[in-house]
Amino acid sequence: MNTDPRLTAYGLGELEGADREAFEAQLGQDGALQEELAEVNTLIEQLQALPGDPEDELGECRRQELLAAMSAARVNCKSPWSLQKRTIVIGAWAAAACIIFGLLLLPAPFRDWRSGVEQEVAVTEPAKLPEIVLPQDFTDPAVTLADALIPPAEETVKMEPAPLSPTWAMDTSLQTQDSSTVKTLSELESKLLSQNRPADTPSSGSTGLTVFGTTLGGLGGSAGMRGSTFREGAFEQRAAIPVTGDLPLTGRLFRSDYGTENYATFSENSFRKVLDHPLSTFAVDVDTASYANVRRFLNEGRLPPPDAVRIEELINYFPYQYAEPTGLHPISIRSDVTRAPWQPEHLLARIALKGREIPVQELPPSNLVFLIDVSGSMKSADKLPLLKSSLQTLADGLRDEDRISIVTYAGAAALKLPPTSGEEKARIKAALAGLAAGGSTAGASGIQLAYENARKHFIEDGNNRVILCTDGDFNVGITEQSELVRLIEKERQSGVFLSILGFGTGNLKDSTMEKLANHGNGNYAYIDSLPEARKVLVEQMEGTLFTIAKDVKIQVEFNPNTVAAYRLIGYENRLLTREDFHDDQKDAGEIGAGHRVTALYEIVPFGQALPDTSAEGDLKYQAPQSAPTPAGTAQSRELFTVKIKYKEPTTERTQDLEYAVENRILEFENAPADFRFATAVAGFGMKLKGTKALGNIGWNSILSTAESSLGQDPGNHRAEFLALVQKASTLPAQRPSVDSTWKPD
Amino acid sequence: MSPEQILQEALSRYERPLIAYAKNITGEIESARDVVQETFLRLSRQSDLPSIVPRLAPWLFLVCRNCALDHRRKCIPFASADLDENFPDPQDGPDSIFFQNDDQERLSSLLKQLSQKQRELIQLKFHGQLSYKEIGEVTRMSVSNVGFQLHHAIQTLRTLWNQPPPRIHS
Repeated sequence: MNTDPRLTAYGLGELEGADREAFEAQLGQDGALQEELAEVNTLIEQLQALPGDPEDELGECRRQELLAAMSAARVNCKSPWSLQKRTIVIGAWAAAACIIFGLLLLPAPFRDWRSGVEQEVAVTEPAKLPEIVLPQDFTDPAVTLADALIPPAEETVKMEPAPLSPTWAMDTSLQTQDSSTVKTLSELESKLLSQNRPADTPSSGSTGLTVFGTTLGGLGGSAGMRGSTFREGAFEQRAAIPVTGDLPLTGRLFRSDYGTENYATFSENSFRKVLDHPLSTFAVDVDTASYANVRRFLNEGRLPPPDAVRIEELINYFPYQYAEPTGLHPISIRSDVTRAPWQPEHLLARIALKGREIPVQELPPSNLVFLIDVSGSMKSADKLPLLKSSLQTLADGLRDEDRISIVTYAGAAALKLPPTSGEEKARIKAALAGLAAGGSTAGASGIQLAYENARKHFIEDGNNRVILCTDGDFNVGITEQSELVRLIEKERQSGVFLSILGFGTGNLKDSTMEKLANHGNGNYAYIDSLPEARKVLVEQMEGTLFTIAKDVKIQVEFNPNTVAAYRLIGYENRLLTREDFHDDQKDAGEIGAGHRVTALYEIVPFGQALPDTSAEGDLKYQAPQSAPTPAGTAQSRELFTVKIKYKEPTTERTQDLEYAVENRILEFENAPADFRFATAVAGFGMKLKGTKALGNIGWNSILSTAESSLGQDPGNHRAEFLALVQKASTLPAQRPSVDSTWKPD
Repeated sequence: MSPEQILQEALSRYERPLIAYAKNITGEIESARDVVQETFLRLSRQSDLPSIVPRLAPWLFLVCRNCALDHRRKCIPFASADLDENFPDPQDGPDSIFFQNDDQERLSSLLKQLSQKQRELIQLKFHGQLSYKEIGEVTRMSVSNVGFQLHHAIQTLRTLWNQPPPRIHS
């Protein structure tokens, strides 16, 4: 299919001048092009001639109404004074009515506030921000493969040979626990949780408190809010909270009531047939919040809600040894392929990106505005106090040329520290120490003040960033996510990026924060402890704070001659449509200095049976090409090609990168340690989510793979992961599994 | 031309295309009618109508689009401001459209298989007769993006047209 937009533009008369001449010249020499143009012109004529739907009219009644209103409007136009007067009078009445009505409706605490007595608003039911369930669309017509580049030799760091078998064993000891006798409090909670959750059936529409999305065979996609699921028929507002306040009294015995936490619901990517969907497109993501959050749950002795588990964030939490970019581009790409240990007939492909590292002395000066939530809900030890310590750690690392200011928000926004050079550490720390929690949150105006400050003291070619620190409480003021999002998008045009640090438990608005960070060209990290604060704000500060590429999008084109189907593991909230990939205005992810991004695909090679759960007999394949594939060509040699689009952080020009991946399979035990470890992390995530594609694999397989691929483990993060896997294995699993295997479209 | 005449002209020429356009965005006919009434009402309130005439079509479609999105937003407070890819199609009534031939009927049904955004672009181009530049202004897209997406929509239609009609699944 022709991908040159000039063809259509010419047919529609939109080409002019030099472009037109060039196209006509080409047309003159290309018979096939002429034929295509003829077809396009026919289609255009047909479209012009299509009759409209007869219902598309106002109807007599409305038309009369409209005509009357229009005449009235014209009369008033002629005498503007009377129109104004009329508007003022009506407006005054309307306002009066609203005020009276509003006063009657206000709940008691607010009335007290209005009478001038300042009271801390009781946080009873913070506004839940329901997720809009939006549909997705992938109608990718077949495309031809792009020209391939020979991939450079990949690094294979061989660690000690793994003594284990490359395939993961089924967990024969796994028994579904009957909850008739409950021995521990955590068991009780799990039991109550599973009772609260309606069982999900894949084909039915769902409403209300569904935690697991059903799969949509072959659909993925994006919305203004990134990806979610679509149900036939209605726009349902879904409460994306795993458990409501209906949690019985026993729920409150636990330290944190996560009844008001908020996670975006999404369904996992399922297998897609290459012939129907040769392209997989998504925006890059370097957020790590999900891992920290999952860790928090496990350390408290609970399994996390599956929607809190974003597998790509788990995998991306760990620093891997990826090749440093050399040459023109600030991003390097590598890729390798092995067998999926949970399903050896399937392949597992890893796409590894790394952002250029910047030595500290070369980092541009920073203009940082910390926007700190000091509302009442931030009082607990794991919130404001932790935040203060974390930022003091950061302040230690500031240089003379850096500027930092602090804006607080609670009820109203205040500038607590005007832009101060990194040299004056004592002053900065004093300002931090003086922060105290109290009042209710009005997120929006605080953000406006912060951005204003960042813009006022903008450093050209520097790192200008607002860092929002909160537990996610936006319950007074603008509660509409869409308005907040619009505000942040507008601000990001000015070159000020946004990072979000989430704190605390029980009120974490995970989905809000992820969304805002996405729209603000920034990243989102969750800080649950001082060591994590050190990791995010010191160890990986360059990555957290310095962007080296923005609006980074990935599009993978699979070769139908070698691949039958594929499944992207994770990134459900980052999916894009094929058109989005070419849309320069489309906001995508950002990569910070030194950041690594990993994406895994489970691939069903050509010739393999698709994981179809229906009982249909034989599978029907169209022949990918009528002519036999010549051996030794790109078509026969390659599995897929990775294309990347990104922009330098201070420009709007898009750059392209491409990388073709050959059909060379490493045996799992020979795969690089980083790859094996990432696979273990993916398995961990899939098991927590109950992914059906994982099958009945036990924790032990995941654990031993991780153990054998620890490698250097700077920062001890991998060792900590082992502890988490062990913890998870001891917690009872009573979750219906999510069906994410292939379903017909 | 007097303002009254302008309004009459505008109404007779653009009532139907605008309703179809609004219907694509809001998803059903009644709200589309509301939106279009509002659109024309706003037109009638413009103090300098003759100056709008040269760019009447883009003006109308832009205002219509904004009204339709506002309408959608009010009914569903958290929808994204951008048009998203898929929306439930307006209910397909019994075939009351009088097609001149089978081809037209087929083309009409193929249009329903496009994404909402693609349909929007096609409506703007073929019903509104807007140029790429004007379409870009109405939809807040760059001109090159408009070209790309329209091309893609047309190519998709071509591909669908050239395919044999799908088998009916049991």
